[in-house]
Amino acid sequence: MESSPNSTENVDVPTQVFEAFLKSIQAAGEDAELVARLRKTLMEERSFSEAAMKMAIFGHNPSL
Amino acid sequence: MIQVDSITIKEFRGIRDLTLNFNGKSFAICGPNGTGKSGVVDALEFVLTGNISRLSGEGRGEISLKQHAPHVDKRDNPGHALVSAKLTIPSLKKSVTIERSVKTPGTLKVTPSDTEIAKVLSHVEAHPEVVLSRRELIRYVLATPGKRNEEVQALLHLDQIEQVRANLQKIANSTDKQLKALELPLNAARDNLMRALSIAELSAENILSSANKQRGILELPNIVELAATTSLKDGLTAQAQRKSQSIAKSQALSDITAVREILDEMSGEPTKAKIKPIIEDASSLANDPTLASGVTKENFYRVGLSVIETEACPFCETEWDIATLKSRAETKLRNLAEIAGRRKALEGKIKPLTELLRKAGAAINVLARYSAATTLPVDMEAAVKFAASCQSVTRTLEAFLPITKTVDTLKMLSDVPPDVGEAISSLEKTIAALPDPSKQDAARDILTISQERLEVWREAKRNLKSTQVKALLARRIFETYGKTSDRVLTELYATVQNDFSALYKAINHTDEKSFTAKLVPSLGKLGFDVNFYDRGFFPPGAYHSEGHQDGMGLCLYLALMRHLHGKGFTFAVLDDVLMSVDAGHRREVCGLLKREFPNTQFVMTTHDPIWMRHMKTEGLISGRGAVQFRAWDVNQGPTQWDDRDVWKEADDYLQKNDVRSARVQRQLFFTISDN
Repeated sequence: MESSPNSTENVDVPTQVFEAFLKSIQAAGEDAELVARLRKTLMEERSFSEAAMKMAIFGHNPSL
Repeated sequence: MIQVDSITIKEFRGIRDLTLNFNGKSFAICGPNGTGKSGVVDALEFVLTGNISRLSGEGRGEISLKQHAPHVDKRDNPGHALVSAKLTIPSLKKSVTIERSVKTPGTLKVTPSDTEIAKVLSHVEAHPEVVLSRRELIRYVLATPGKRNEEVQALLHLDQIEQVRANLQKIANSTDKQLKALELPLNAARDNLMRALSIAELSAENILSSANKQRGILELPNIVELAATTSLKDGLTAQAQRKSQSIAKSQALSDITAVREILDEMSGEPTKAKIKPIIEDASSLANDPTLASGVTKENFYRVGLSVIETEACPFCETEWDIATLKSRAETKLRNLAEIAGRRKALEGKIKPLTELLRKAGAAINVLARYSAATTLPVDMEAAVKFAASCQSVTRTLEAFLPITKTVDTLKMLSDVPPDVGEAISSLEKTIAALPDPSKQDAARDILTISQERLEVWREAKRNLKSTQVKALLARRIFETYGKTSDRVLTELYATVQNDFSALYKAINHTDEKSFTAKLVPSLGKLGFDVNFYDRGFFPPGAYHSEGHQDGMGLCLYLALMRHLHGKGFTFAVLDDVLMSVDAGHRREVCGLLKREFPNTQFVMTTHDPIWMRHMKTEGLISGRGAVQFRAWDVNQGPTQWDDRDVWKEADDYLQKNDVRSARVQRQLFFTISDN
């Protein structure tokens, strides 16, 4: 066998993507409150609807 | 995750009452076709996830879990169909018994139960991919890139990543759309303000210059700086304002001229020339039944896709699988992409017309306010009706469907009814007849109206600015998410690709030492090409044998599962997955599973006793780690033959050089198996 991946890693793929995304926007200097809202929505509530995303991004649910 | 110590199946599928003891170790279930092996697989999937994928998958029609999971004689009593299992949870070092009834498939009875156990079982429930059948295995290998992407997405739960991406895109697009919609009122407010101040270009300098000229007439001090809250009529007393007549004559005449210009543009030849090809293009869509139906369907799927957010249909509340439904709608939309492109192009051409209509409606409404303020009777009803029709025509054109209505509306768009012009002329005449105001009154009027219009413009600008901030934020978030998810997924596929190649090479080291593979993700697709004896990269089904393809499917599955679960990959059911693989390669598979996945319990089914024997001789399963189903009948379910570890006994005879006894033993096994 040439390769065997690190078998200690068992974080699911969406969580890996969301975590990397949150780190990216934080590093890009986005507002800390926005990052916190997105973390809560994606990682804690696991809520991915358009309404939930809007709420996380804008801090309220604008009638866009 | 978990390992299964035993399973007890009652009145479920083709099984009446069966207990199998796996003891947390890998286990083989062997038997000819139709002896109940798949019943055990279904039972394992059911007790762990509450579902049986072969009863709920694509093309299952009217087959349902509640009706068809119980034994046929108990089909009216789903409560009798029960599966229970004793499990070990290695990460918690705990044992637990679980039980599920077909009557209430969503309810899992857990003994003992605590939060940690519930969390693990809920994780298992969310991962039906622990059961792999040959049908699914082939889907990873031979599917089209689009379909494979869906399969792998489902396995890795990438649908959640896609759902977030799609919604972030929707939000970015809708804020962009809102931004564009705000440009029109801002431009209208700007034009009105410029008209009031008689300036050709909107700048602070021009505004102040014009306003100060009027202020000078009224002996008011000049305004030096135009700040956000500056009032052009600062210092003008309320009393002085009241002296001004209700209609600012010169401004009203100027507004009437503006409306005339807009209406001339609407009914002019250049606009008619623009509308003609749009009508032709829209008519060709409307007159072709296939295209017309395509546009309607495309709209339906697009709208449908945007509302699939709950677990059930909002109309009839029938439960649906969001990921499958979305994937189907997306496939249909992809097939209608050309029609969608034609619609988008047409909508782009229609947009300047709707902007012109909005402008006309708003400008006529300004005149209607003058009409209401005049003491003389001016009948503006026709103009007001026309302004309302401009709004309803705009809505029709923006809705686009039905196309025939859009075509009919476009045909009449340039027709401005003559009574509209007559009404405007009547208003113009009335206003022109008003006495000219004094220089001071005219200056007061200009400052008052200019200030009102400045406020409207400021408000429109504030709205635009705040929406611009939102739009930029939404676009930034969407783009960052896209870049990040692409990076993570590319890394993931590279890891899986390397692991897959290594696993496949391990079972084919005799003939494909230099094997490599490429997993290439692109938008909505996952390309999968494999090296064929250094002659280049081809789809797996192009040159490799069916047996090799089976091997690829298993290796890709194992690589994905190892990446997905890491140390948690402790249990998998392989349902007849290596049907086409020859004996030599099966031995290699046994070695691979044992060597590379020492902590994973595999429950494997096969109709081939030789394959089961290989599992034993290669040490993948223990001597007692198998059951052989001999036959099945509808009353009793599967009947087992305890092989008394026949292969071990045959090997023992061979060790003692008793070839005759070993041969008898082997023959006995096959005779019974064949019956």
